Amino acid sequence: MSVLRARWLHWALGLALGGVFLYAAWGKILDPRPLVTIIWGYRILPAGPINLMAIYMPWLELVVGVCLATGFGRRGAALWAVALLLIFEVALGVNALRGVDVACGCFSANAEETHNAWLLVLRDLPMLGAAMVLLIFPPRRRAKPEAKEGRR
Amino acid sequence: MRALIRDAAFMLAAVLVLGTASNVLRARHLAWWGVGHEPPAAGKDYQLVDPGSADSLRTSLPRVVFLDTRSAAEFTAGHVPGAEPISYTDLERQLTAVRLARLRAADAVVVYGASEETDVEQLLSQELRRRGVPPPYVLVGGFQAWVGAGLPLDEGGGR
Repeated sequence: MSVLRARWLHWALGLALGGVFLYAAWGKILDPRPLVTIIWGYRILPAGPINLMAIYMPWLELVVGVCLATGFGRRGAALWAVALLLIFEVALGVNALRGVDVACGCFSANAEETHNAWLLVLRDLPMLGAAMVLLIFPPRRRAKPEAKEGRR
Repeated sequence: MRALIRDAAFMLAAVLVLGTASNVLRARHLAWWGVGHEPPAAGKDYQLVDPGSADSLRTSLPRVVFLDTRSAAEFTAGHVPGAEPISYTDLERQLTAVRLARLRAADAVVVYGASEETDVEQLLSQELRRRGVPPPYVLVGGFQAWVGAGLPLDEGGGR
């Protein structure tokens, strides 16, 4: 388990995962309107909060990406990354079970870019794993007693 | 644990500030609550048209407007004869009262993008319909299909 607390690993995972989040956020921040259509396409949320999600989620991805990549508040960013990725996994999983290929809105806001939902679920798993490492196994130098609570 | 919660809360606050500011300052801002926003629907907000039928509209009706959603460079390189460039992300400025009146009075409005029709053409059609324009046509296959069908072009010019 000691390798999971290595600082080099945290920098590598932070840069990689942060880069993914920054890449994902950029197009949606420039114009969040197509994202409304995509979120609607998941057929999970009612109409009301869809716009709020389209307004704020890209910025959350941006802030999380910056913090993961720079190391500023990286565990807090990892917490948000885990939350976001779990939400994505549930949304994709629901549609995979429905047999619907969705436009995931992961890296673009193009509603025409549909993918097999199961593949998208699988694609997110490594990112979820990386985020959980960053969250549960803080680097040794910054280790705090309560961090052990999260270790299994 | 306290630092973790503090950092996460700080990020949430930053997101709230940035998201709110961007939506307030954006010319094409979203309504805060999604009531009234529905995804564009074929038949209601737009109709699909193939290149041949679109060209028939163009040649048989006197007031058919083609709206080109591609980049300025792509438009300049070549477009459907008589087409007008339009940017979905800057609609408020571009849809002047005069232009809207002309679109409302058109016999048909045809929207096209670069290739396969995307949400941009559909959303643009929805915005136009909401402003009183009859449901526009969206060109199936976009400009690429138009060129592929060997239909006439305006090349290397403006409007």
